[in-house]
Amino acid sequence: MNEKISRLMDGEVDPQEFERICGEMKSPGALHTWVCYHVIGDSLRGTRGVSPGLTTRFCAALAVEPTVLAPHLAQSVQRGRTAQVATAAWAVAATVAAVTVVGWTAFSMVEAPPTAVAKAREAATVRAAQIKPDLPADYLIAHQEYSPSLPVQGAGPYLRAVAVTGNEPRP
Amino acid sequence: MIVGVLTLPRTLRPAGQAAARAFAALAMAAAATFSAGASAEDAARWLQRAAQAANSLNYAGTIVYQHNGHVETSRLVHVFDGGQEQEKLVSLDGPVREVIRSSAEVRSYFPDAKVIRIEPKTFRNVFPSLSAEQLRNLAQYYEARMVVSERVAGHWTQVMTFEPKDGLRYGHKFWADANTGLLLKARLVDDRGEVVEQFAFTDVTINEKVDRDMVKPSWAAAPPDWQVKQGSFGEMLPRETGWSVSKVPGGFQKIMEGYRTLRGKRDPVVHLVYSDGLVAISVFVEPLALPPVQTGLSQQAGLNVYTTKSEDYLVTVLGEAPPASIRQIAQSVARR
Repeated sequence: MNEKISRLMDGEVDPQEFERICGEMKSPGALHTWVCYHVIGDSLRGTRGVSPGLTTRFCAALAVEPTVLAPHLAQSVQRGRTAQVATAAWAVAATVAAVTVVGWTAFSMVEAPPTAVAKAREAATVRAAQIKPDLPADYLIAHQEYSPSLPVQGAGPYLRAVAVTGNEPRP
Repeated sequence: MIVGVLTLPRTLRPAGQAAARAFAALAMAAAATFSAGASAEDAARWLQRAAQAANSLNYAGTIVYQHNGHVETSRLVHVFDGGQEQEKLVSLDGPVREVIRSSAEVRSYFPDAKVIRIEPKTFRNVFPSLSAEQLRNLAQYYEARMVVSERVAGHWTQVMTFEPKDGLRYGHKFWADANTGLLLKARLVDDRGEVVEQFAFTDVTINEKVDRDMVKPSWAAAPPDWQVKQGSFGEMLPRETGWSVSKVPGGFQKIMEGYRTLRGKRDPVVHLVYSDGLVAISVFVEPLALPPVQTGLSQQAGLNVYTTKSEDYLVTVLGEAPPASIRQIAQSVARR
């Protein structure tokens, strides 16, 4: 499911699959992952805090109104795929940023480990000070392909990537 | 040098202190250009040798990487066998990270996230042979010196320094194993002499037999509950993009221009690369999208990054150069 969520956030799903995944998103586990990915991004950008128990409350609200999510999304797909893709595309930007927090800058893109929201926020706060703009990890890799100064030939770029992880607060 | 000027006959001595200083600087520059010309070539030759050594030797050691006051340690094993390279890099601090690099692909293991990421190998040869013009640039913008031998990780090394002649680039110091040419230590310093970034082997064995098992991944196959992610990192498509940089710092030349398709981006991203022979600066241009990205300068592991807007586009410039150069480039990116 996490993988589907990743692809959804990447804008890699077609409209049918999009609808199906949105249906599956009703499970608390999937929602938790979804929310976690976004909280990390929000937190990193310092946009706003999320109160504890959001997922639970969201799920509860969703259970009361089970038809809300999917029809709206289906509608927006019909209105224009562009809008959906744009949203999904920038969702991934947030996720990439999130992974610079939780994971490994240069190599992971969307596979933020399913850590608790609290831990993600803590990590995000620490890193946010160091990475001000959301530098896409792909930029880093693309640049390093041409950067001759990385001294230990093959390993250089990876060392840098390893190093970024090394700063993470430990549990 | 001032002493030198003062020994000149009074009639030939430049008038006034400022003039004397200018004269001294001129004389020094003339001398430097002469010696640096030869040295830059020697030093560049050593760097090319080092690049080749890194590919074609067997070695195993512990690497310490320092940047922004952080210290990280990794274990590196490199095998060159039957014309094939294989390499294993494992982080020794923090969460376990493992990278297996072969000529075909790069596999990254994230055991805590239960993820394996596979990327096609796209890294080019670093320190490619420099053209005559690049060599001239090196000599013009850096004072290159071959320094007396020093010991690193128990090996005698040839030391090369590249000291910038302007404030638009960092200084470099390289330590290459005197016997094999393998780089054992490298340092980037800013204009105050502070270390921006440093890699160094603390111990290393070179050209001893390395067992192939030492470069095998710790996980023979992906455990069933792990995710395997194929990288979708786009190759460079070289072509004219219509974008240019009007204020390129001296000595930097455009070495690549084209488009890349990056994961999660609908449109290909413009990528220009400028290099002065020792470092590269990348310029990325893409249409502005929501949400608004924070603009300005930031630093990430030895790289300076400057993000700005140009018309309806987002411009991101990054490279191993001082903030002033990165900003200068970023602020002069425009459509031709």
